[in-house]
Amino acid sequence: MSETNNQTAAGSAGTTPPILEVRDYSLTYGGPEQGVKVLDDINLTIRRGETLGLVGESGSGKSSLAWAIMRYLPALATESDGAILLSGENLRSKSQYQMLDIRGRRIAMVFQDPSMSLNPTLRLGEQLSEVLIRHRGLSLQQAWKEGEAALARTGITRPAEMMKRYPHEASGGEKQRVVIATALACSPELIIFDEPTTALDVITARQILQLFETLREETDVSALYISHDLGLVSRIAPRVAVIHRGVIVEQGQCAEVFRDPREAYTRRLLAALPRPDRWLGVDQPATGAAPLLETQALNVRYGGPSLLDRITGSAKQAVDGAIDVALGVRPGELLGVVGESGSGKSTVAKVLSGLQDFRGTVRFDGRGFVRRRDFDRRYRRAVQVIFQHPDSSLNPRQTIGQILSRPLKLYGLVPAAQRPAKVAELLEKVLLPADYARRYPHQLSGGEKQRVAIARAFAAQPRLVICDEITSSLDVSVQASIARLMVGLQAETGTACIFITHDLNLVRQLAHRIAVMQHGRLVDLFDTPDAEAPERHPYTRALLEAVTPPPVVAEAPVDDLEGTGP
Amino acid sequence: MTLSYLIRRLGAVLLVLVIVTFAVFAVTMILPGNAAVMILGEYGSPDQVAALERQLGLDRPWYTQYFAWVAGMLQGDLGTSLRLGMPVSKVVGDALWNSAVLAVTALVGVTIIAIPLGILAAVRRGTASDLGIGVLAYVGTAMPEFVTATVLLVLLAGPATGLFPAGGYVAPWESMSGYWAHVALPAITLGLVMTAHISRQVRSEMSDVLSSDYIRAARLKGLHERRVIRRHALPNSMAPAVAVISLDVGYLLGGIIVVEEIFAWPGLGRTLIYALENRDLPVIQAVTLVLAMVYALTNLISDIVIALLDPRVRYD
Repeated sequence: MSETNNQTAAGSAGTTPPILEVRDYSLTYGGPEQGVKVLDDINLTIRRGETLGLVGESGSGKSSLAWAIMRYLPALATESDGAILLSGENLRSKSQYQMLDIRGRRIAMVFQDPSMSLNPTLRLGEQLSEVLIRHRGLSLQQAWKEGEAALARTGITRPAEMMKRYPHEASGGEKQRVVIATALACSPELIIFDEPTTALDVITARQILQLFETLREETDVSALYISHDLGLVSRIAPRVAVIHRGVIVEQGQCAEVFRDPREAYTRRLLAALPRPDRWLGVDQPATGAAPLLETQALNVRYGGPSLLDRITGSAKQAVDGAIDVALGVRPGELLGVVGESGSGKSTVAKVLSGLQDFRGTVRFDGRGFVRRRDFDRRYRRAVQVIFQHPDSSLNPRQTIGQILSRPLKLYGLVPAAQRPAKVAELLEKVLLPADYARRYPHQLSGGEKQRVAIARAFAAQPRLVICDEITSSLDVSVQASIARLMVGLQAETGTACIFITHDLNLVRQLAHRIAVMQHGRLVDLFDTPDAEAPERHPYTRALLEAVTPPPVVAEAPVDDLEGTGP
Repeated sequence: MTLSYLIRRLGAVLLVLVIVTFAVFAVTMILPGNAAVMILGEYGSPDQVAALERQLGLDRPWYTQYFAWVAGMLQGDLGTSLRLGMPVSKVVGDALWNSAVLAVTALVGVTIIAIPLGILAAVRRGTASDLGIGVLAYVGTAMPEFVTATVLLVLLAGPATGLFPAGGYVAPWESMSGYWAHVALPAITLGLVMTAHISRQVRSEMSDVLSSDYIRAARLKGLHERRVIRRHALPNSMAPAVAVISLDVGYLLGGIIVVEEIFAWPGLGRTLIYALENRDLPVIQAVTLVLAMVYALTNLISDIVIALLDPRVRYD
């Protein structure tokens, strides 16, 4: 560990003083005996004006490190010796009262989801100016004025108006700009970014990253940038530390780490990154075949002004979830559907799974459906859905065996006596041990739960599977294995698939054709190899440009990626 | 707050009241024996009854009777009590005033005590004070008010202490202190259960809010805990508390009937029981209607308060 430390110190900005130094720091939750060690012998240094990327998957301890630096730890946390130094001062010797003056003034934080980290009942201006009042002793008027200036620096076009708004009246990007302006308000020495773009759309995320880069140059602030996304970190941080199960397994210049990863874990992470140039999907099915499923002039409208709203002149508008969407999926094909949140991609999925009223026609296997209630049992069996969050789509009170038996029983596919054997077969298909049938969902990891959800969908022997963001809530290394599993099942069964995602890099590895949606409309539809062709819709091009290209790795390791772990 | 929101809430309240007038009217129509039978007693001959029915207009079709009744109410004429021989508006008006004093005293006391208790329990979660408040709240919720009332009577109005009168009423213009001494015990009885209930509710709302991301964000901005609680946590936990309090008014209206009977307090509850025992139909109708109106208006007020506390509600 000291070796990597020396190397990085030599490799970075030379004699500039360190702003943050973490030395030999360990953290345990629970007692020192039987507790869980979340951070083990952490060493890292961030110098003035420098950004260190901290990359790890969920549960790796990366957020615990942020809380430790902020000295905001739960009561059951036990710390070992070791030091956390801010400009040479040991934060561990500070009392909680002293830390009040440091938080927000010398170290600030930007959180993952601005809609969660902003108070819904306070105006954005108050949430920004209260920091200035607290730490710089400004009056309310001064702070408000200063706040407007701070918002202007983060690229908010009408700051005075934004100050008066409540969080629900601003977009995700605007809210995150307010959070960033708040973090920078007192010119802190260090800002901790905890996945600041994960909850945002690709294009908004790209804008926030650009803002981060601009502000870093303007202010010379040091930053600890926590993320699960290696590609993103390689873009904005010259140095990176990879954390795995509480241990920093590798630390160094981004370029070196990515070119020549020394640790198996780093290699695994890099290999799991979706890269559009590496094809994972099944062979292109015959293009001449008649479409299995087709939508014609599909329209969905949410809400709208009531009679009373119209009388009182209320400005409530109907929202179009889908406008004239015409899509087709061929047998055995994987159709990718991409777009930002609110683009209508999930609306289409809801219509096709019979959960949403619509206007227009859905044609499936030669039959036409014009109303939601037309979808009969035969259709529902043939079209299965896999949802984003396996936690909420699997019944927590049923065993995996019961969950997988359900479609077998519902559609009368397998007689009762043979169901256990069929369940075991299904589990085997999704690479899970047969004895998982007796377990409950909470005893499984996120990736394993998603495998169960996939097995349930395939239990009905469907003709078409709709995957609604099935990899979005999973870690990168698990995402890749889930994607491979889907493709493997598709190759085996010949099932067609609609794969809805916001991850363009991933979908380009899997899909034969890609549909792009924006504001409820289908704006582009193309064969995947033509993704970068010049005739693409401007919005498709914007989406592609916003995606961080994965870092270049010398050779592509092809070891198995099934390390989902228990 | 948008005008549309306000109009929608008002419309809902009006609709509820119209439905309630129908229900009240229907119930009194279904009850055996009408006003004529009541007045004449069991010895009235069928002819006498028929004559009186004609006189009172009871032989008209039900909808004519209903609209006459509603029209009278809108002009403040609730009819005449069959037993007391006084205008119903006078009987119910006095009772309403007495009950309102009791209910408002209980409600104000509860709000002053229960909300801070709940906040304290949430802020000191897991400590002895949290546990203590929790145990008291469970005991309070578990005891029906006739038990609470009896315990209070034995402890505070029994011969041993004699701090408060055991029941009855003294007009405020005769003795102000006597009046409030009579209010105290019934108000405390009513308030205890609500205190328990509301403090639990506030505690759970406040705990949720305190574990939210935006409270953590506020703390990590270096704000003092005082500001975090008062400015960031309180407004967010108060809106649900207000909703619970307004729902508890429904409970309060039920409780008041029992409590007034125990303490012989001449309020709406006692009047209702008296009217029911004596089949005094106009009084039964008026009291039921007043109780429904109070409940509907309380909910309207709470909707408005919630909209003021939480900006998101105003645009729904």
